[in-house]
Amino acid sequence: MIGQPPENLPRQGMDYGETQRVHDTHAAIVREKSEPRVGREPLSFWLITIYGLAVFFGGAYLGRYAGNFSGDGLDYLGGAPRVATRAGAAGGTEQAVELTPVQKGQKIFSANCATCHQANGLGVPGQYPPLAGSEIVNGGAHRPVMIVLKGLQGPLTVKGQHFGSAVMQPWEKTLNDQKIAEVLTYVRQEWGNTGGPITPEGVGALRKELAGRTESWTEPDILAVPVDADLPGGVPPAPGAVAKPGASPLAAPPKP
Amino acid sequence: MSQPAALTQESPLGDVEVTTSDVERVERALIDASTRLPVLVFYASAIAWLLVATLFGVLTSFKMHVPGFLGDVSFLTLGRVRPAHLNAIIYGWGSMAGMGTSIWLMARLCRTTLRHPLLLISGAAFWNLGVLMGIVGILLGDSTGYEWLEFPASSAITLFVAYLLIMTWALIMFRYRRRGHVYITQWYLLGAFLWFPWLYAAAQVMLFILPVEGVMQAAVNWWFANNLLFLWFGSIGLGTAYYMIPKVIGRPVHSYYLATIGFWTFALFSSWTGMQRLVDGPFPAWMITASIAATILTIVPVATVGLNHHMTMRGYFPLMRYSPTLRFTVFGAIAYSAFSVVGVIISLRSMARIVQFTEASVGYTYMGLYAFFTMVIFGSMYYIVPRLVGREWRYASLIKLHFWGSAYGIGLMVLLLLVGGFAQGLSLNDPTLPFSEITDTVMPYLRGRTLSWILLTVSHLVFAFHFGLMLLGFGRTASVPTFLNPLEREPGEGH
Repeated sequence: MIGQPPENLPRQGMDYGETQRVHDTHAAIVREKSEPRVGREPLSFWLITIYGLAVFFGGAYLGRYAGNFSGDGLDYLGGAPRVATRAGAAGGTEQAVELTPVQKGQKIFSANCATCHQANGLGVPGQYPPLAGSEIVNGGAHRPVMIVLKGLQGPLTVKGQHFGSAVMQPWEKTLNDQKIAEVLTYVRQEWGNTGGPITPEGVGALRKELAGRTESWTEPDILAVPVDADLPGGVPPAPGAVAKPGASPLAAPPKP
Repeated sequence: MSQPAALTQESPLGDVEVTTSDVERVERALIDASTRLPVLVFYASAIAWLLVATLFGVLTSFKMHVPGFLGDVSFLTLGRVRPAHLNAIIYGWGSMAGMGTSIWLMARLCRTTLRHPLLLISGAAFWNLGVLMGIVGILLGDSTGYEWLEFPASSAITLFVAYLLIMTWALIMFRYRRRGHVYITQWYLLGAFLWFPWLYAAAQVMLFILPVEGVMQAAVNWWFANNLLFLWFGSIGLGTAYYMIPKVIGRPVHSYYLATIGFWTFALFSSWTGMQRLVDGPFPAWMITASIAATILTIVPVATVGLNHHMTMRGYFPLMRYSPTLRFTVFGAIAYSAFSVVGVIISLRSMARIVQFTEASVGYTYMGLYAFFTMVIFGSMYYIVPRLVGREWRYASLIKLHFWGSAYGIGLMVLLLLVGGFAQGLSLNDPTLPFSEITDTVMPYLRGRTLSWILLTVSHLVFAFHFGLMLLGFGRTASVPTFLNPLEREPGEGH
């Protein structure tokens, strides 16, 4: 009887899977147990202990490795405890202090200059002048800084080689005083060069002095500046510092 | 008899106090009849996709130790077969089977016949179309390259439309439920139905429509994959276990309080996980640490749910000897606890540094997707299908073959991948070892995995054949269910 449609409903042939033996067809439904109910047993003590342990361990883990919830403490720096003990940006400047001005200059050089002047500073014959042993690089600080700031175009003679159509872009908008000082300090002591270190203040002073100039230099402009001219108002490099880049004047570079 | 008949006549769904078990039985028969077509459509599609996924799974596993095999056929290269396998398992098999079971459970627990079955059937058709387009797209080289989201955009949109049809239905059903107590299973199923679109849409928007920048894409990707595993498959699996275990043994769930704590802590902590897969990556340390801490805290819901199931089952474990449903479901429920404990262990930094990029994380995924979810769903199918087709399963021997094939297959695979992955990770961290040597040490484990896939293939073929028999009406007509073993004593009512 169970499962049969009420008699007065107009219907209904045999449904899918139904047989005459209604009890067999619906056997599963007839025998099955009522829908699940829920008991009300209280929490056991051991479970609460497990909760406590999980919360304690999870919280301790969070405190130990969360890097003070700073966005700067990157995970791969491994940084957990080290970053955790220093607040926020400290992680960043600490990284920076580890590099000497020369090392930073080398990075800037590979990123911006090495494409033309090459990593070995020899340039490309006939196209890009060499920096290694160049009289401009090894002279006073004035010439190199002015070239980097404003760029250079037209024919040029370096180390007796003639460069017909050398073009160098102005860097004053791309590199700040600090970076120009660092990259030139690097160039002036690398590959056997003997120019002294350059200070950011000196670069800044020359940048101000040349602020009105909009075109790149040509060879006559450069030759007009004495070869040993130094930067205006800049601290002249100590004589002993030439072979020891990164020493006294630059040991603590001011922030840009 | 006159009273229940009158009630049914008036409205089987009306707001009436049900007192006699006869009325309940009539109601169940009506509900089961209304869910028959949609649920069978979902199940049949799911099983078809399971076979497709198995084929690709075997191919993937085989290619790991015989890389040249079918290497000249561009659409069967590892880079395409592997995502095709995973996506067929996730969207084809897992999601469709899970939705099929959810539909039936929801109808039963809301005590309402299924309204608008066409909505569901068209949803299933769209979903099948989406998965088909996706798999073909992957094989043709159209994969997006994001793990678990490889389906090309056209397929993703189709899936989403299909999903909205199915979810609309689920909400309608919940709206028209018979008044009264909302059972634990319904919490999990409603949660799953609301979490899935959130996860899927968030991942789609943040990766494809308005992509976040750089490494954050990896973070979004892992958040999605892990949460799909927990909040979608996990919820459906746990909800199903919460129904099947007390239903089959005919005993109330141990504790309501445990169930509440288990559910809410599950919802709270699981959603924070995912980043633990990115240990030592270029991310702020707090992101990854928060995920690891959340993973540690998932011990709370796992212990709670595990204890609740265990206490419910206590004294009834011998029934697993007879009931296929109980056997599969309890296997899955135990696998869930194991899966979570393994998840905590491999997320801790010291361990993650070893196993992070190894086969062990693959093994972990299979633990969740197969040893837990798929086994629970198999169990529910053994319970539900006879009620839909009006026949009992034909052969107890086939069910046993299916169970042992799946249990040994997945057990072997997980063991090999976890142990092999650990060994692989130790070697990878040793800079003195040449890479080719490390690959050689992993080889035996990978060959073993192919063996486990052969076991799984056999069990899936057996199950598909058995299901086909049921569908075609070759099941047994009998008043007792198909037990795995002959009864030694009177089982009473059961199953």
